[in-house]
Amino acid sequence: MVALGSVAIPAVTLAADPPAILVSRQLAARAHLTVGEVVTLAVDADGTRGRQFRVTGIYEPTPDPMRFTADRLEARLHLPDLIDIAADPADPASREAVSAINLKLADGRNSREFAADLMTRAPGVLVRQTARSGEDDPFVVLERFHVAISIVTMIGGTAFLLALMVIRAEERRETVGILRLVGISRRTLLASVAIEGLAVAAMGAAFGIVLAYVSEGLVNRVFQARYDTALVFVRVTPSIAMRSIVVAAPLGILAGIGASWTLLRREVLSIFHR
Amino acid sequence: MTSFALAWRTAQRYRARTMLAIAGVAVIGALLFDMLLLSRGLLLSFADLLDSSGFDLRVVSTEGLAARLPIAGSARLAGDIRQIPDVQHVLMIRIEPATARTADGPSRGISLVGSSDTDEHVWRVLQGTDLRSPAAAGERCPALVTRPLAVALALTPGARLTINARPPGVASALPAVVCRVVGIAEFAFAPTDDLTAVTTLEAFGNAIGNAGPTDADLVLVSSRPDAAPGGILRAIAGLRPDLRVYSNEEVVSQFNRNGFAYFRQISLVLSSLTMVFAFLLVATLLTVSINQRLGEIAALRALGIGRTRIASMLLWESALLVGAGGLLALPLGEALALVLDRILRQMPGIPERMHFFVFEPRAVAIHVTLLGVTALAAAVYPIWLTARLPIAETLRREVLG
Repeated sequence: MVALGSVAIPAVTLAADPPAILVSRQLAARAHLTVGEVVTLAVDADGTRGRQFRVTGIYEPTPDPMRFTADRLEARLHLPDLIDIAADPADPASREAVSAINLKLADGRNSREFAADLMTRAPGVLVRQTARSGEDDPFVVLERFHVAISIVTMIGGTAFLLALMVIRAEERRETVGILRLVGISRRTLLASVAIEGLAVAAMGAAFGIVLAYVSEGLVNRVFQARYDTALVFVRVTPSIAMRSIVVAAPLGILAGIGASWTLLRREVLSIFHR
Repeated sequence: MTSFALAWRTAQRYRARTMLAIAGVAVIGALLFDMLLLSRGLLLSFADLLDSSGFDLRVVSTEGLAARLPIAGSARLAGDIRQIPDVQHVLMIRIEPATARTADGPSRGISLVGSSDTDEHVWRVLQGTDLRSPAAAGERCPALVTRPLAVALALTPGARLTINARPPGVASALPAVVCRVVGIAEFAFAPTDDLTAVTTLEAFGNAIGNAGPTDADLVLVSSRPDAAPGGILRAIAGLRPDLRVYSNEEVVSQFNRNGFAYFRQISLVLSSLTMVFAFLLVATLLTVSINQRLGEIAALRALGIGRTRIASMLLWESALLVGAGGLLALPLGEALALVLDRILRQMPGIPERMHFFVFEPRAVAIHVTLLGVTALAAAVYPIWLTARLPIAETLRREVLG
């Protein structure tokens, strides 16, 4: 159970045996707390129903992508201790209240049926699956956004690669003419420019992967420091690396062939006329 | 012949590569333009949404607007605020989580909103009537529901809806209240998938088991158009120093600090990357192109065309590529922004009327400036190459080669 909205104040007078709490790294840093220190937790800043606790540990909160901009000022304590602070003395039933109950089903595949059944049996209870479906997962949407941006970047990159290959083809106009004159077929020349395009694209993709891999740590460190979180923002996985090579390779081949096509389909002698 | 004319002739002579380079710059420029629109889009859209609601001030009991607690004595506070000169309208709102179900269906988690008044700025009735209409007046718990809730529970005006309020921290199981749906409405701040039911503050009080008047957790205040800025805010702060009063500007600034950080960062990273990408590619194309035309440039120099004119020609070549591409990038970017906006608006919790990419003249000005700097920077190395070109040696090598 996590106590939110509580205030940590260094205690002036010690209780006999203060119960243990854990505080998040961020709260420890903000309130200058160390292990062994005694603090008072209360429901409001006036110290209502305040109680003393001993800090027995400092923990790193589980990174939550949904809350990475939030200050993780948290403390973890035993449920009865939290109820002692938070329960309303005027409402005895409030000692029986929790805001959520986490369940692990024996068979997770039945979670939908279980939720429907429980909500029918206990009206007013809301049962939610912890796993998000594609429709309500913001990270699925963000992934779509990033894929769209990478497609646009790829189109721009292909146009530039094509322009470079056109320049290369123009540079080699006379060489191509001579090769054609000595009997090398169009097919062989096309294969050679396709291989060249493939090599350029593959080397470019490999360079991009290496650059991404090298800069991954830097990007993560910058964002982790900016948001004070252990969340990993960028990770170059083998599947992403493979996907970029698989996409780049055919584009390189097409750029090589496309750029040289106008030159190679012409008659040999016309190649020499500028 | 002017250096621009020389650059224009070069572009015409190497038409294919010029067109491809322009296409590349246009695509990358479109992405850059979109990132500039994204950098403030959500913020502008949010500010527009706040302004369109017609309310200038928001009164809450806590720091920030995200997590709210009821304001003790809010009915009296609202009465006092109405007495402040220049106050036009005061609306009290209370929101609590609840579950809703029809007679034979399963429960759905909803947001239950209690409102002291009907307000056409906050919602628009699409079907049926409003909460204070004569048809709804006889109902103990009239309710307006969002379209997604109407679809989820197959509700139409006249349908009965059983609501269980679940105020946090209250352990006792509150009895359900049966409301009658009087209309289906569209809410200014409601996400596209939002399941919300709005009722009167009195009916809301019954739902949460309140015997007396229900405290609102948000009081919205609108001022007269000619009201002095800040005057009402100070007056409310004087009435209740324990509360926080936020102007629309402060709400936007808070949103900018907390909710918008990710998109600001990502737009900064991506616009920097696209700038570097555009610079590298234009610089590479120009350099390769210059290396191919070294003989031609040496010949121009031998004919008496000075270094400055050659440098100016190269600058014009770069400006033509980047300029034409940058110009094409604007309509292309607008079209791309529509696609990207549609993707991002699928995110849960985004109000229907909010957009991530919002056009503003400032973005065009920054776009033009950044591309101008890119064109200039991309031409530096090719200019340096041609400036130190040995004319005789290059001509001999090119002719003999």
